[in-house]
Amino acid sequence: MSCNFNPLNRGQLIFFLFSLQAVLIVFPATTFAETPSTNKPANYSAVAISIDVKGRITDQQGQALEGITVSVKGSARATSTNADGIFVLNRVDENATLVVTGVSIYSIEIPVNRRVQIDVVVQTRSAEQTEVVVTALGITRRSKTLVYATQTVKPSELTEVRDANNVLNSFQGKIANATISQGSGGVGSGARIVMRGNRSIQGSSNALIVVDGVPFNNSTTSSAGSDFGSIQSSDGASNINPDDIASVTVLRGASAAALYGSQAGNGVIIITTKKGIKDKVSVTLNSGVVTESPFALPDFQNSYGQGNSGILDASSGESWGEKLNGQSYVNYLGKQSVYSAEPDNVRDFFRKGLSLNNSLAISGGTEKAQTYFSYTNNVMQGIIPANNLTRHTVNLRVSNQITSRLSTDVKITYINQIIRNRPRTGEENAPVLDIYQIPRNVSLNDAKLYDTIDNIGLPRPVSFPSTLNSIYQNPYWMINRTSINEGRDRLIGFLSAKYKLTDWLNITARANLDRTRTNVQNSMSEGTKIFTKAGFGGEYIEQNVVLTDQWYDAILQGNNTITKDVKVNYNVGFIFQDRKFDARSISAGGLNIPNNFSLSFAQSAIPSADFTQVQTQSGFAQVNLSYKDAVFIDGSVRNDWDSRLPGSHSYLYSSLGLSVVLSDLTKLPAAVSFLKTSINYAEVGNGGQFGLLNSVYAYESGGTGAGYLSRSATLPIAGLKPEIVKNFEVGAEARFIDDRIGFTATYYNSNSFNQLLLVSLPVGTGYVNQYINAGNIQNRGFELVVTGSPLRTTNFNWDLSLNFALNRNKVVALSEDVKVFYLGGSRAATPKVEEGKQYGDLSSLTWQKDTKGNYVVDADGKPLLTTEEEYLGNFNPKETIGFTNTFTYKKASLRILLDGRIGGTIVSGTEMNLAFSGITKATENYREGNWSLGGVDADGAAVNKTITSQDFWQVASGKRAGAGSFFAYDATSFRVREVSLGYALIEKNTSFIKTLRLSLVARNLLWLYRGSSQMDIPGLGKRKMWFDPDMSLGNGNYQGIEYGTMPSTRSFGLNLQAIF
Amino acid sequence: MNKRAPIFNQAGLFYLMGVLGVVFMWPACTKKYDQINTPRNTIATIGQSQLPFLYAQAQAIAIPWSGNYQGAQNQYADQYAQYFAVTATYFPSDRLVIVPYDLNTLFDPMYSVFVPQLQTIFAETDPGSAEYALADILWVVGFHRLTDYFGPVPYSQAGLPAKSVPYDAQDKIYDDFFKRLTTAVAVLNNKQAETPFGSFDAVYSGNVPMWIKFANSLRLRLALRISKVDPVRAKAEAEAAVAAGVLAVSPDDDAYVHRSGTGSDVNGLSLMSDWNEFRMSASMESVLKGYDDPRMPVYFLPADETGTYEGMRNGLTPAQLTDDLNKNEANSHVGARWSSTSFGGVTTYLSTPQILMCSAESYFLRAEGALLNWNMGGTAKELYEQGITNSMIQYGITDQAAIDNYLNTTSLPIAPQDYLNSPPVTDVPVKFDAGDAGVQLKQIILQKWLSLFPDGAEAWADYRRSRAIPFYPVANSDNPDLDDPSVQWIRRATYLVSERLNNTAAVENAEALLGGPDKITTPLWWDKN
Repeated sequence: MSCNFNPLNRGQLIFFLFSLQAVLIVFPATTFAETPSTNKPANYSAVAISIDVKGRITDQQGQALEGITVSVKGSARATSTNADGIFVLNRVDENATLVVTGVSIYSIEIPVNRRVQIDVVVQTRSAEQTEVVVTALGITRRSKTLVYATQTVKPSELTEVRDANNVLNSFQGKIANATISQGSGGVGSGARIVMRGNRSIQGSSNALIVVDGVPFNNSTTSSAGSDFGSIQSSDGASNINPDDIASVTVLRGASAAALYGSQAGNGVIIITTKKGIKDKVSVTLNSGVVTESPFALPDFQNSYGQGNSGILDASSGESWGEKLNGQSYVNYLGKQSVYSAEPDNVRDFFRKGLSLNNSLAISGGTEKAQTYFSYTNNVMQGIIPANNLTRHTVNLRVSNQITSRLSTDVKITYINQIIRNRPRTGEENAPVLDIYQIPRNVSLNDAKLYDTIDNIGLPRPVSFPSTLNSIYQNPYWMINRTSINEGRDRLIGFLSAKYKLTDWLNITARANLDRTRTNVQNSMSEGTKIFTKAGFGGEYIEQNVVLTDQWYDAILQGNNTITKDVKVNYNVGFIFQDRKFDARSISAGGLNIPNNFSLSFAQSAIPSADFTQVQTQSGFAQVNLSYKDAVFIDGSVRNDWDSRLPGSHSYLYSSLGLSVVLSDLTKLPAAVSFLKTSINYAEVGNGGQFGLLNSVYAYESGGTGAGYLSRSATLPIAGLKPEIVKNFEVGAEARFIDDRIGFTATYYNSNSFNQLLLVSLPVGTGYVNQYINAGNIQNRGFELVVTGSPLRTTNFNWDLSLNFALNRNKVVALSEDVKVFYLGGSRAATPKVEEGKQYGDLSSLTWQKDTKGNYVVDADGKPLLTTEEEYLGNFNPKETIGFTNTFTYKKASLRILLDGRIGGTIVSGTEMNLAFSGITKATENYREGNWSLGGVDADGAAVNKTITSQDFWQVASGKRAGAGSFFAYDATSFRVREVSLGYALIEKNTSFIKTLRLSLVARNLLWLYRGSSQMDIPGLGKRKMWFDPDMSLGNGNYQGIEYGTMPSTRSFGLNLQAIF
Repeated sequence: MNKRAPIFNQAGLFYLMGVLGVVFMWPACTKKYDQINTPRNTIATIGQSQLPFLYAQAQAIAIPWSGNYQGAQNQYADQYAQYFAVTATYFPSDRLVIVPYDLNTLFDPMYSVFVPQLQTIFAETDPGSAEYALADILWVVGFHRLTDYFGPVPYSQAGLPAKSVPYDAQDKIYDDFFKRLTTAVAVLNNKQAETPFGSFDAVYSGNVPMWIKFANSLRLRLALRISKVDPVRAKAEAEAAVAAGVLAVSPDDDAYVHRSGTGSDVNGLSLMSDWNEFRMSASMESVLKGYDDPRMPVYFLPADETGTYEGMRNGLTPAQLTDDLNKNEANSHVGARWSSTSFGGVTTYLSTPQILMCSAESYFLRAEGALLNWNMGGTAKELYEQGITNSMIQYGITDQAAIDNYLNTTSLPIAPQDYLNSPPVTDVPVKFDAGDAGVQLKQIILQKWLSLFPDGAEAWADYRRSRAIPFYPVANSDNPDLDDPSVQWIRRATYLVSERLNNTAAVENAEALLGGPDKITTPLWWDKN
């Protein structure tokens, strides 16, 4: 290949897409042409009567099983079941015996007995034994040959109880050692999934998502990097349609991922989408509705209203006023009103969320061509008023066997997603934090009078009692007079061809294109705090982001039998990858025609452009040697050339592993049906970040000349090195008593080296920070997945799956000069990475204690705070648990998922902020004083002074910033995560509707346990954690601080699936 | 597979070897990688034609702008200078608490934005050029404000890559200021016809004679600043500066940084006036009302509720702030040129130019010098009255009769009838005292304070140096290092938390250079009160 191999330009891209479409249009025409007639007249012979036999193979839960072989005993005739579990065998002796076999089930023999319809319920091997898994680059492998741990998730578990925001949220509790945080950006928000602990400080710790063999662009263009908040945009994963998923394999460790290079060190979620199935046309309709309501809101006090120091003040945003006794007073609108509590003025602000999911899938094909087509429509309304999402997903896939040697596979997916009125997250003028600030006596009806129309017809904000004039506003203004709308078009397509060179060698070539165009329109009426200036007619910002990912690979795959017992299987290939990010943004700089949100009215438009490009080329080889199909040695090597690196741009990494299936090698006690151990070591590299090698000057318009240039405040890193993750793993997998119970246990140790760190410099150097390559971050842990079927009877089955994981993190080294690294700016607490400690330790100012452990107070009896931040805890859970129980009785099934996290500290910035203003429940006591903290002075002498609640909380919190330790919670929690009750209304192969299944589903049903605040405050004690620790401000590495995050939701839904 | 078939047939082997060869001798096409990895929306190398852009950036940031203004100036210096008092219950800065990270908006841009651009100009231009000289003057503009907040700051080693950047003693820094200004003026004297940086100079559009006057005036300002700690040098510098020509005619000579009013290029005070968190101080009310000062309607807006000009004491507690007398509505907001239309201001409020230094100030500096018997080219009285006259003209008050009337008024500051029933803030009239030098000094400094409005940074420095205005003590101090506001006052800002974290050793050494603990009560080098 010559050096002229360039990624496609725009014209070529269009051509590529057209040719994709052409292929898609031409081939379906042949797809259904050869559908065999299944009702040919039987060919009667004299000796034996032949009949045509049809049937359906299902598991104990009534799920159709695909790919099960049904053969006629004593003959070579066989067929396999399609996606609906249907098989057809023509001209079978009416007295023959059928043999049903498959890797995932126990074989069974069924006498035909002159039946033409034979439905078979088979016993599946436990979930972990779904033997064939899709591994790196779309290569299918038998799981027993793998030298590392994998886990699979059933697509039905993602589609039944769905979180329509983002399919990632549906993985919660189902994958061992995965921490999933739900983003705070309302419907369609980006999410975060971290497996085996955080390892990247500056980059992403998010797991890599691979769809149909190619890394999926899961980038998020905007996420909160501090508690000030921002716009949390969608990620790429929110575009994945769960209805199109055929299988999910989770590769937790780097070993599994060595072939993916960059980012795969964080683990990989491999998603394979559905294909058409030959011989059968089937139509699947799925329809679901889910309602949502807030699951965790702050605890509010309802005894005191607006004012300060016990004095009623109707213009104050704070609730430190008089006791609410129904006094009559003039409210902030100047109306005579009654001074009484409005206990539901926050809860009622949220509306009932509703999401509708409707999908249609048609699949069918012949021996030569198979087609899968689907259309999915999602309509969601978020719990924040006016926040809505509409998503259309159209998906077409055509697979062709063109000659006996050549086959092709083509797919095109188009996604159109529109999100309206996305709420801002965090602190600054975000609707959630704005509504929390509402004084306890202000009614929502009054708050709804958020604007008046002035004499020139423009809306003006009605003065609203605010706890901070420059930042917080009436949330109804934010909802109705500002909007953040996002439209997204995404086109993903691939063309792949496989050619069988010889009977043991084939070559696959693939071209994959993923192009996302996102348009964000941000409108703010004049009068919007922070973001508009008076007299400028409001503000409008339009941003267009185009992400273009191109991926080309060619892989040679072969397998040979060297001796009877020794076989070899190998892949050699190269990959070319190009990723472009092209963003243009224009701020109107005021609108000449006020509140008309178009760039046409821009007063002084300020454009900006951002463009980054990363190109990598890779060559790799992977070999798997097997002995007696029971001992496997697996090795891989890969070299990357990465445009982000200096000099030769090149780096190399490799992996090596061994697995032994003892149960196949020697005779084990009868109770042990399967036993395998494995060990492996792997390295994965990551090229770093775009454009860090040289110093640059950034331009900004303004001034009296033609603008400004200023040197970047980040010292560049000329000798940038790739990050390397080194991963060691040992595992055992065992199943007992005919696979009735089994487990997979894995111990791992991974070290991440040469982390790219952006560290602070003394600003006196002229630079705020610099990049360095340093560090060694270690994650060690243990994962256990237990699956079993405690009860298995004809009508009743009980299956369970338990996953447990613990992860221990240690920052072994950072660098010579830098011993601590801060993960983000913070005012409640600071999350950091400190040498010798754990990733994600939180520190904050706290209440001084003397040497005897007594709290120190000042002469007035108020708490004295430390001047330095002290350790609070670590934001990561120590252990995570997920426990699924499935009960099946005849046609009904009940699945319950309980999950939880043990340990971890999360600081509530929301509560800190609200406590300053007397809004939270904890501020209710001691309003009139008489609060003795029992503290001592600096010399240890008792201070017998009493203080008021306001004295206390305004020391603990400085409103926007404060001593986080007063608001730190143990995030340990357990909950009923998912409940799904299903009933098969129709389950007959003969009727027009083959399957009709109804499920009632619920998510976040109830807390089983919640942790408490860490500080035991004298006179108050501890408080129960009110927030959901799974909700996070953003999906970056800045975690551990809850600050104006969206409340998580409890949802109930109904799902109906019909297969024709 | 047939057992007798070869393990690898020939064709397959050929393919396999071929592909292996390609993979492991992959001629990686990395020729374009450096180009791909270069950001296109930035400038990688600076040439001569880019220098004006750098100068414009340094000038724009030399005094706090845009979103930095609140933390860098308004919540601190402007309140310490008692121009404004805080009305928001949630800001403790008026009660002398320095909120961590607020002052980073002052300190950080000086080093990360101001210093790099100027140093690039120093590196890319000839020291004998007008551009170099303008950069030198600007350097002093930015750094004297910074050092007058904190005392010792990183200076001589600023802008050099290092793990730690030492702080320099303030006397060393001032010495360098005088040298730079003297050198710059010497250079500019030979470049009078040039227009360095042209329209990119948002102050004088490259007018060299103006910059010479400005540099001399700045030298005069700094000379007065050290008048107590080094009277000999102060006299020499001041007399040299005046002899070389200082700002003299308002409004033509007055130095403003012009703001375009778009994007973040806006007047910071105007920007934050929208947030409605501060009002006129009682000190301002006492003086402006007492003198019936024609500048009062320019500096402030009438209070919403009363239609009169009302101020409030600095340092009120949240509980005191809930009193009706201390509400925003009951007090005067900053004047129309800094206020948006929603408060009764002007539509162009965001592009109001920001004062760098005006002619009035140079007259007051000269008047004070004259009191010290320095040769200032006039008597204290003449210069004092010129100062007032120029300040009036600066704000559009050109009626000579009105000005004369003001110059001769014997009215005294009044009791502002505020929440704390405060007495008049001082007892000196406008009319220049006939003989008492003590009263004359008070008058000069008081009028200078009025003319410097709203530049709290300079006014606070002047107050600390002279102690000639008996400001009201702050009503309450929440800063444990200052427990008696009746006898103590704020003399400096404490060092930043970020510097303690990132530049630890240097900050610790700075305390020795400061000559006292890192507290707000420790005086700076030039503060001899």
